[in-house]
Amino acid sequence: MSLELHAGEVHGLVGANGAGKSTLIRVLAGLTQPDRGHITLDGHPVEIATPHHATALGMSFIHQELTFVPGMTVLQNIMLGLPKRSRLGIVDWRAIARDVAPVAARVGIAAPLFASVKGLAAAEYWLINICRALIRKARLIVMDEPTASLSTAEGERLFAIVGELTRSGVAVLYVSHRLDEILRLCRRVTAFRDGRSVAQLAGGELTRAALVGAIVGGAVEPTARTAAPSREGKVVLRVVDLSRRPRVDGVSLSLHRGEVLGVGGLVGAGRTELARLIYGADRPDGGTMVLAGVPFAPRHPTAAVRAGLGLVPEERRAEGLLLRKSVAFNLQLANLARITRGPLIDAARRRTSSLAVVRDLAIKSPSLDAPVGRLSGGNQQKVVIGRWLLRSPQVLILDEPTRGVDVGARGEIHRLIRALAEKGMAVLVISSEADELPDLCDRVLVMAEGRVVRELDGAAITRNAIIEASYAKAA
Amino acid sequence: MTPRAKRSLGLFARYATILGLLAMVAAFAWLSPRAFPTLNNFTNVLNQASLALIIAAGLTLAVIVGELDLSIGFAASLHGILVTGLIVANELPIPAAILIVLAVGALIGLINGLIVTKIKVNSVIATLGVGTILTGLAFAYTSGVPIVSGVPEAFLQLSLGRWLYGVPNDIVVMALVVGGLWVLVERTGVGQEIQAAGGNPEAARLAGIDVDRIKILGFVISGVCAALTGILLASRLGSGTASAGDSYLLTAFAAVFLGSATLRDGEFHVLGTLIGALIIAFAFNGLNIFGAPTYSQYILQGTILIVAVGLSSLGRSIAER
Repeated sequence: MSLELHAGEVHGLVGANGAGKSTLIRVLAGLTQPDRGHITLDGHPVEIATPHHATALGMSFIHQELTFVPGMTVLQNIMLGLPKRSRLGIVDWRAIARDVAPVAARVGIAAPLFASVKGLAAAEYWLINICRALIRKARLIVMDEPTASLSTAEGERLFAIVGELTRSGVAVLYVSHRLDEILRLCRRVTAFRDGRSVAQLAGGELTRAALVGAIVGGAVEPTARTAAPSREGKVVLRVVDLSRRPRVDGVSLSLHRGEVLGVGGLVGAGRTELARLIYGADRPDGGTMVLAGVPFAPRHPTAAVRAGLGLVPEERRAEGLLLRKSVAFNLQLANLARITRGPLIDAARRRTSSLAVVRDLAIKSPSLDAPVGRLSGGNQQKVVIGRWLLRSPQVLILDEPTRGVDVGARGEIHRLIRALAEKGMAVLVISSEADELPDLCDRVLVMAEGRVVRELDGAAITRNAIIEASYAKAA
Repeated sequence: MTPRAKRSLGLFARYATILGLLAMVAAFAWLSPRAFPTLNNFTNVLNQASLALIIAAGLTLAVIVGELDLSIGFAASLHGILVTGLIVANELPIPAAILIVLAVGALIGLINGLIVTKIKVNSVIATLGVGTILTGLAFAYTSGVPIVSGVPEAFLQLSLGRWLYGVPNDIVVMALVVGGLWVLVERTGVGQEIQAAGGNPEAARLAGIDVDRIKILGFVISGVCAALTGILLASRLGSGTASAGDSYLLTAFAAVFLGSATLRDGEFHVLGTLIGALIIAFAFNGLNIFGAPTYSQYILQGTILIVAVGLSSLGRSIAER
């Protein structure tokens, strides 16, 4: 890929999930080394070896998750990691405040410098980060999804400041899924696809349609699934107006018996949050659910599991498995009631039921007693799925079921999900890979900014339709 | 480090504590062939170790669910006073007094568990606070004066008495507690939930396990074991003294951490705690036999604690590789 950035410009960077934007940022920040190619700064070739080096070169990075020391003052956070003026070895905060005050006023930090950062709005955190970048005399500021956690009004303030920055000659690399922002702020935009910069748009070429076209690519449309249209089985789970603002905002859906329902959209669209609400892992602030005809409001995942739900979480290693425990231990975690006789575990039943799952899912493991952390990603994921096979819930939610899984295992997991639906399970699959959902789903909901923006059915489920809808403006 | 070196280091760490125990016993037997390697002395060591082992086995449950319980030593002191007080001052029958004290132990565990899971206070702080309050209550109950007179002989026999074949009662109680908790953790459905709640609370929660309830259970078991140790200690001493049980805290922690370095790469388990407690008991017995001065016991205690935690985290880092 290549990219050229001029002083005083806001350069947009767009691309679908996994297109390579984050990798580029990591290279610029000195976190990853490039295999090939070179970077020149002010005409001189540079090698960015470490994050420290990147900072010294005048680059500043503002990430999606902001880094803060909560107990410190605004000023202390601004000066974090920067050399401080001191008198006789004692940091002279008043002198520093005199230096910082004009910069803080320029970016519009409203909070007093000596106030605690606790309780400040997300936008204020952004301003503090920008202030830090300016004091470092950064000439290039990389912003990664800056508005993901901001309200509209806070976003407006950020845009004004970005404009102000560029007038003073700072270059901004602006990475966002939100095309409206890109169109508004950027004079030039680079689109990424599959790790390559596929288009550079500027001036009059910059339209929403052109951007979407570049992100999706003129790639040959994969053949639509020829499978039977979605079975209109009985509704198992009905969700009405479920909300946990701002991440999930009034989502309604119905999930049928024997159906695989996909939820597509960009990272941060609120899909995982939706799954956690349905599963009782987080509490909604509005909306209702009905499970098999009965009102359903789980206060805790335990209640959801008892009611007949299962979840294969997004972060397999952190949320799905006990890596040091055995395959059998991890498989049986939700099935303990069925392998115990009185309080005691029936070792024979535990073994036979575990072996059956290992065989059915073709889990490759040296033994049932091997620590699950030693298995490959695909096999680990099968263990998490296998846990729910043992319980056969009415509704199974899979969040990114094939992330970090090799191609072979991916196919097996897809077949498995289809087979579960054939048997009458209602399956909800969340995936960020637009290629995955057309193969797998009877129906797909596309989410953007916490809302369902489109429903696709049967032959209408295509990779391009999903990507296009992902960028739709929420109604 | 090469994988091979790592594997052998792992093997060494896993068996180091057991080898250490055997080496120590062998060394003492060689140095003191008449006093040390006798059935009498071994029974004595085991008997001495029993009270610490009961409280350490309970603590093992708390650490398996992923929390620390620092209240146990102070709780044991209070329970010792309470049981003698109930028998001497309130003239309750011995079994009733024991049941009440065990219930109080469970209640203290419940309070610890609720503070940690519902109010979300870090368990070190929560149990340290509760333990300090218990010390205050113990002094308030006795006004600082130990309860010594009027303790009935039958209560003394609780700890001093012997079972069939002359096995001391304390050893019998200890064996039942350690065996029972081992079965609970390793062989029951609840035990799997206990291991899961401490191993990865978020994964356990998303698998449908009520992690808070399991953590509270861990604290309750720890509390009941502290009560049991307190009762047996009062019986052994023949009195209720306001700080008699405090020192069990350090011994129990040393045993639990030594145990976690045993066989399982830094994972806490009941069998490991048993081995850890035996190492400590034999070490102190050896010091006594060779007439080492009292201060050396403190030095040994502190050294064992640090070595134990060091071995435990070494085991974990090897397992994580």
